[in-house]
Amino acid sequence: MKSSDSPQNRPFKTSLISVASLLLTGFLLQLAFGSFNRCLLRFPVNMYLLIALLVIVVFLSLRPQSRLFQWFSGIPLSACNIGAILLYTLVLGLVPQATSAMEESSIFGFDAVTHSWPFILLYSFILINLSCVIARRLIRFSWRHYAFYLNHLGLLLLLIAIGLGASDRHSYIMQVEKGATENHAYNEQEGIRQLPLSIKLIDFGLEAYLPKLMLTDPRTGEPAADGRARFWEVDTLHTTGNLAGWHIRLMRYIGHAVPSDNGTYSPQEVTGACPAVLVQLENKSGSVSKTGWICCGNYAQPQRNLSLNDTLNLMMSVPEPKLYRSDVIIFNPDGKQVKARLNVNSPLRSDNWMIYQYGYDAKHGKDSTYSRFQLVYDPWLPGVYAGILLFFLGSVCLLLEGKKKTKEEKR
Amino acid sequence: MTDWTNFDAFALPTLGCWLLAVVSLYICKRKWLPVSLTLAGCLIFATFIGLLWSGLGRPPMRTMGETRLWYSLFLSGIGLVLFSKWKYNWILTFSLFMAFMFMLINLLKPEIHTKSLMPALQSRWFVPHVTAYILSYSFLTAATISAIQQLIRYRKNQQSAQLVSLTDNLVYIGLGLFMIGLLIGAVWAGESWGTFWNWDLKETWAFITASCYLLYIHLRLRETAPRRFTLWLLVLALICLMITWKGVNFLPGARYSVHLYEQ
Repeated sequence: MKSSDSPQNRPFKTSLISVASLLLTGFLLQLAFGSFNRCLLRFPVNMYLLIALLVIVVFLSLRPQSRLFQWFSGIPLSACNIGAILLYTLVLGLVPQATSAMEESSIFGFDAVTHSWPFILLYSFILINLSCVIARRLIRFSWRHYAFYLNHLGLLLLLIAIGLGASDRHSYIMQVEKGATENHAYNEQEGIRQLPLSIKLIDFGLEAYLPKLMLTDPRTGEPAADGRARFWEVDTLHTTGNLAGWHIRLMRYIGHAVPSDNGTYSPQEVTGACPAVLVQLENKSGSVSKTGWICCGNYAQPQRNLSLNDTLNLMMSVPEPKLYRSDVIIFNPDGKQVKARLNVNSPLRSDNWMIYQYGYDAKHGKDSTYSRFQLVYDPWLPGVYAGILLFFLGSVCLLLEGKKKTKEEKR
Repeated sequence: MTDWTNFDAFALPTLGCWLLAVVSLYICKRKWLPVSLTLAGCLIFATFIGLLWSGLGRPPMRTMGETRLWYSLFLSGIGLVLFSKWKYNWILTFSLFMAFMFMLINLLKPEIHTKSLMPALQSRWFVPHVTAYILSYSFLTAATISAIQQLIRYRKNQQSAQLVSLTDNLVYIGLGLFMIGLLIGAVWAGESWGTFWNWDLKETWAFITASCYLLYIHLRLRETAPRRFTLWLLVLALICLMITWKGVNFLPGARYSVHLYEQ
């Protein structure tokens, strides 16, 4: 008997053939019907599929010693599935993916892998395999296998919540003017839609970092220096520095400046104010020394640069945003009102809705009269969080316990 | 009020403790001394972070300099925990070396303490996410080196059970850290961009890398001694890991990636 036909290798062979056949079926479906339409999995279809998965697994595990259940819950099939998903996601990693259905051109779905039939079939097969693996250990339950349960249950929850729940997830962008209340939002698939909740924008605020100064060529507008020498970040603590061989000294910094009649700037916290600095520049030899005001300008006032010579200007870049936030009132479908402050990285949860600070009028910066929010509806969110938590704890077990020795290894 | 001007007063004693910890690691047989010295260094450093937090009136997480403080603290702390568990000297040495490097940048370049960090990166998940990955990369690289050693020994017919066990443990530890980094990244993505998993190029390659190590782990469950295929898998996995870390920036489709902020 060839070693490849040995009893130990037969499950691997069967698994390889099964997974390969599954992928081939997927490719044929892809050729026949094109990409899979995820909208078909919307509630209640995804719930029916979940119930079907449960029924299949319970049915298979009624006879835990059967060859079918042993194969479905065995390592050879798991390894082949992991290998298959590894190979398929390599395609995802190497082939640029289409950003919309109109852009898809690959007949095998290689530019839309996550919508392709082979991926969907493989994903479904992995769900069955993983569920059977867990069922096998649950039948012979032991607390000693806590790491196994955490990792595998966590992964299963994640695959179900993210995979089956994807089609129930909706994301919209809402633009709200200051002082106004809005309940219309937009996305590419549905266009403009009226949502069951409303947002009133009380106030919008933006904090920016200190501006940067850079040398440019006035003839082309291009930077005159490369790499690190390109910028000098205004620093009110360290007021001197070097910029591409020029010694720079910050004499005055005004965060909210407006131009005065005498050519200088004065501090005024008004709409349209922007940063301005009074600087002195001196070249290495000291033969050239220039002092003057520089302002980045904005929609309300012009930019001002400092001319050093025919080929060099010192200009100020528009300060980068440090943080921006919106003070809002959320009007929930149940009539409750919630007052909140939304920052980037600090979304607000309202039932199955998550509301994110998305954007603002970049042209007006801190004077933006509107704020943009991203509203995401995801009823499967609790499943995602539960899966992440379990998987996280399982990963901690992996790193603290390592590989548990088998009985044979212990002997 | 504590601010960055006090940094040297805390950083130098911390570095002193860590340096002594590394030296005592290789001189003393008992491990309580390097552990105590590392812990002392971490406590001094954590004190500075706490006082800075109090002085600023906000968590120190908005600038590159502030972020490096957390890198140093997390790297040294996690390194200490893993060393206490696994007793491999190089774990503590490497972790303290990395923590030291981040602290050195802050010491030598005080003018970049206020360097801007874009709003999306001002997240409590940023530092743990990156720290877990930094540590996982080191373990998984060590696992591949160990696997290559095994492949060489195969040719000479000199397998070593100790090396096999070391390789497996390195993969488990490395993958555990890798998955922690990946899951933290998913939570961060959910908080920032409204979606936990986007198949962004970096995420895709992280998934590919994790799959390689998962495949190794599952194959090893059926093997008493690893086969050559299984060991070569670790070499492939390291290539995927390198692509995840740096190579994605050069792949087609990289321009759509949210991870381009690294550049």
